[in-house]
Amino acid sequence: MAPVRMESVQAVVAHIQALSGSHEEVADLHSLLKQSEGALRSRAARLGPFLHQLDPSAHTLGYLFLLEAYSSRPISREQDEKFLPFIAGFINSCSAEQIRLAPEKFISVCKSFKDQVMQLQVPIQGITPLRTAIRKLQTSSEQLTTLHSDYLLLCLLAKFYKAGLSILDDDIFEVDQPRDHFLYCYYGGMINIGLKRFRKALECLHNVVTAPMDALSVIAVEAYKKYILVSLILNGQVPPFPKYTSSTAQRNLKRHTQPYIDLANCYATGTFSELEACIQTNLEKFQSDSNVGLVKQVLSSLYKHNIQRLTQTYLTLSLQDIANAAQLKTPNDAEMHVLQMIQDGEISASINQKDGMASFYEDPEQYKTCGMIGPIDSFIQRLMELSKKLSSLDEQISCDLAHLTRIRKELPRLD
Amino acid sequence: MDLSPIQNAVASGSYATIADACDELMLQVASRGIAYQEDWPFTVHLLGHIFANDLNSARFLWKSIPQGFKESKPELVAAWRIGQCLWTCDYSGVYDAIRGFEWSPEVAGLVTAFSENYTKKMFQLLSSAYSTIGVADVAHFLGMSEDEATNYALQHGWTLDSSSKMLTVKKPKIITEQKLDPSKLQRLTEYVFHLEH
Repeated sequence: MAPVRMESVQAVVAHIQALSGSHEEVADLHSLLKQSEGALRSRAARLGPFLHQLDPSAHTLGYLFLLEAYSSRPISREQDEKFLPFIAGFINSCSAEQIRLAPEKFISVCKSFKDQVMQLQVPIQGITPLRTAIRKLQTSSEQLTTLHSDYLLLCLLAKFYKAGLSILDDDIFEVDQPRDHFLYCYYGGMINIGLKRFRKALECLHNVVTAPMDALSVIAVEAYKKYILVSLILNGQVPPFPKYTSSTAQRNLKRHTQPYIDLANCYATGTFSELEACIQTNLEKFQSDSNVGLVKQVLSSLYKHNIQRLTQTYLTLSLQDIANAAQLKTPNDAEMHVLQMIQDGEISASINQKDGMASFYEDPEQYKTCGMIGPIDSFIQRLMELSKKLSSLDEQISCDLAHLTRIRKELPRLD
Repeated sequence: MDLSPIQNAVASGSYATIADACDELMLQVASRGIAYQEDWPFTVHLLGHIFANDLNSARFLWKSIPQGFKESKPELVAAWRIGQCLWTCDYSGVYDAIRGFEWSPEVAGLVTAFSENYTKKMFQLLSSAYSTIGVADVAHFLGMSEDEATNYALQHGWTLDSSSKMLTVKKPKIITEQKLDPSKLQRLTEYVFHLEH
């Protein structure tokens, strides 16, 4: 189709209405629209009424081009409030197929949407629309889009943490932009921390800290601070960097997180009063990093880890001895702590009030029951899936030109 | 604002579904830009989270409720008191919070159901955590008088030593189902195949 100069927006709209039928028509429309971009942008302020002539579901692609041009200019506050449900409506009704022809434009519209939602301080308004937007943009649930981290940010700001899980619980295998990955995992870590899913939080933060990095990322520094705190809460210690951590991270992260390293060292001594003193010394730093809540949880986890250590040495212990060892004031305090740990599934124990003793025993779960088969089965299935994915990835890399060229260069040296 | 999904859940006694229904509806309504806060059933929403033992969501919801509502709705504050006691593990405080308020007919059923569940859960906890426990403590954990608590325990097979006022716990018999059905053989075959290749 020969390039045509679009003089009027009305003409563009007429073409959109005419060419939104078959795949070929939409492809033609797409090239037309790309040529009209300049014209649309220059008339951005007047595009509003034209949008009403279009159906967001049938004319998605055309609607998207107009909407993107319209939202690219600054919008007044009164217009904002009407504009937000308008975009939300578009996201709801648009056709995923047509969206994927111009993903950058869709992302641009969603980002304007998110910015306005945040400016008006109504993050909750953006949650359902962004969730729909992600599902329409993704080609599969394994793909990370740039909207993922925006979605999690809104969930955090609106304090609707549970809403983040529907996206967070997807396994991601494809990442287009490394920067998306950093923010996604960092916010994911924060959501998991808020929901007290510390093991999952640790996984997310671990992914930020160990991700390939040429230059030190600020996100990685903040993630490492939380990583230290969550490791202490969960395991009572901070593991060393795994081998696959970038050298940038290994060389630089500790320098920027000294108060947290000090805290971890202090934790290792196991003394409550020393830990409290250490926290007090660095309180300002923790406050400016907004980590005070987590630091308090680190402090209260000390009792837990001290008691857990006891279970490794003793079969029975008096509540008084537990109180002494864990630096609790009274045997009753010890009893309450042990009770809570039993409730949370952190130890297997039995309290004998008559004798004032607690008995520790092994986890009674033998993984032999029908009830256990379900979880074990799904776990093995996931591993098998992962294994297949790794094999196919390995095959892909072995056929990759850059890889083969490199191998060829090495070969003569082997002769 | 159509609150029927929530109202139906409350009316039909499917209390476990209230929290999710409230969350979803709140997000939907908010996304349409509707000012929902004035008419939103916050008390039901909060109690829904408490019933589902999702204290994190309860806390976040409480934080997001405007201060004015907290001051003008005593039932909302009373509902939050239950959540607070649960959060701080003030086991007997929960019962005080439940009994210390005259609940409206709308939420009375929900609160009663929660109270019964909570008592059962506490009893299960005591059964698994204690081998012997004093009558006074059992009464404290179950929110009952010492006589009521003793009867409740005896009904469940515990034994009482009246001189020391100590109850000996009877551990519930754990039924371990170990019969396997043939469809699992298919699964096992898949695993072995995968491992061999």
